[in-house]
Amino acid sequence: MNQEKLYALLAREMAGTLTAEEATDLQQLLQQYPDAGYIREVFAQNWAPAGKQYTGLQVQLLLEKHRQRMQEMPDTVRETIVPVRRSMWKLYSGIAASILLLTVGGYWFYSGRQQAPAPQAQLVTEKRMRTQVLLPDGSRVWLNAGSKLDYPKQFAAHAAREVTLEGEAFFVIKADAERPFRVHTQAFHVRVLGTSFNVRAYPQEDSAETSLVQGAVEVVLNNAENQVISLKPNEKITIPVHPVVAESHATTAPVVIYKSKLIPVQDSIIPETAWVQNKLAFKHLELEKVVVMLEQWYGVEIGFKDDSKRDLYFSGVFETESIEQVLDALETTMSFTWHKDAAGKIWIK
Amino acid sequence: MGENEQIKSLFQRVCYDDSIQAYNELYIALCTRLIHFSASIVSSFHLAEEIVSDVFISLWQKRRDMSHVENPVVYLYVSTKNLSLNTLQQQKRHQHHSLDALNADMLVIAPEAESGMVSAEVSQKIERAIRSLPTRCQLIFRLIKQDRLSYREVATLLNISTKTVDAQLTIAVKKISQAIRFDLSDETAQTYLRQDS
Repeated sequence: MNQEKLYALLAREMAGTLTAEEATDLQQLLQQYPDAGYIREVFAQNWAPAGKQYTGLQVQLLLEKHRQRMQEMPDTVRETIVPVRRSMWKLYSGIAASILLLTVGGYWFYSGRQQAPAPQAQLVTEKRMRTQVLLPDGSRVWLNAGSKLDYPKQFAAHAAREVTLEGEAFFVIKADAERPFRVHTQAFHVRVLGTSFNVRAYPQEDSAETSLVQGAVEVVLNNAENQVISLKPNEKITIPVHPVVAESHATTAPVVIYKSKLIPVQDSIIPETAWVQNKLAFKHLELEKVVVMLEQWYGVEIGFKDDSKRDLYFSGVFETESIEQVLDALETTMSFTWHKDAAGKIWIK
Repeated sequence: MGENEQIKSLFQRVCYDDSIQAYNELYIALCTRLIHFSASIVSSFHLAEEIVSDVFISLWQKRRDMSHVENPVVYLYVSTKNLSLNTLQQQKRHQHHSLDALNADMLVIAPEAESGMVSAEVSQKIERAIRSLPTRCQLIFRLIKQDRLSYREVATLLNISTKTVDAQLTIAVKKISQAIRFDLSDETAQTYLRQDS
């Protein structure tokens, strides 16, 4: 009898409907049945679905998918869906753009720095290391190996959210129409409202790229014209940049930019963003570039003894394999062989 | 501000200020709970994601006529329930659908193993105990424990009395308690050991 009451009171406590009188009763029963203290504790814990669970990233993607479905509704509906603010936003950016043309080049970039600088935080990853961080606005960033992200400890209330990236990162940006998100790199910056996308801009590589998974972004080149390129979902833009060593030609060389589609290697694995899920993926990529990925991923050094092998193309997806297993798998194509020297450096010939 | 007040305030910003930001936050705050609820009716997460997306689209479309809504959480759960049952009805015609046949795989919850209080073994025992309950009882337990709905909210959603909610929840608590009672002394000892070290 008393036990039945205990269960009922435990249930009500969990539901938050316990009255003061019942709370006293519960205390007495707990003294009578000391074991029940543990059960009470178990009910006070956080519980989670035993089956499928959605991660924070998946919830962000669900939102993007939902917003996309909303936009695809028939026109009659669309008029009510598109918020008034969006057209205002376009108007503002139109005004902002024309003001920009009148101002001296470069002012835009430095204007932010003239105000009192917000305290900055920096996230750095070594080779083999990948990490993720939740920014103060709730946006999430995955940082790939050998990369650096600078961001303010607190974003200003009504200003753009600005971060600077060197290396590679995947962003899931929390939508905020009042505070557009900008990612600055050496060659370009990316303007965002709410979306998920990948930016790859390693200073030692000869091109930088942005891949859009969901939402919409604009890529603004840091050249004199501030050229703007819009991306649609599953599009990627590649911009040639001169590695830091050859900087003297950077301003004179013509810039050839190309857009391409994101193509899955298998199922839904897209090479550009596979690293976020701890997968190493590449599709029709020169061995020379595959080797750079392997060096970053496994923290090894790889050299070519036969330069003609640099231009061989490979596709593949790897997850738990060791560097030896990956090289063995690629070697089965019979197009090259590899070995490790006494110092541990890997050679391809 | 409590969670419920927060959701109410987001809902009001959607209805009166047309705030798309509040709308997004509302979606993020509630979508997984509603998807799990819908999936327990339609037995498919994929379908449930679309249903909940439709519920939110209709919320945006009708946001001007929402002044009668007193409890946004209950409103969204009821909309999700109705749309889920309708979807099921369209898929399998000539069958009457109610909340009597729910898919337990989408409903079961268990303590998070990382919490330290509960071992994986106990967690599995709890899972088995919950699965042995009638699915409607499982649903009530989940709505209270996981979705943090109140007795009154669950009663409105399922068209039952708060007394029934109380009785059903007590049954679930009893079953779970009995399932882990046998390990009690062992488990308690381990907890103390862990605290010592």
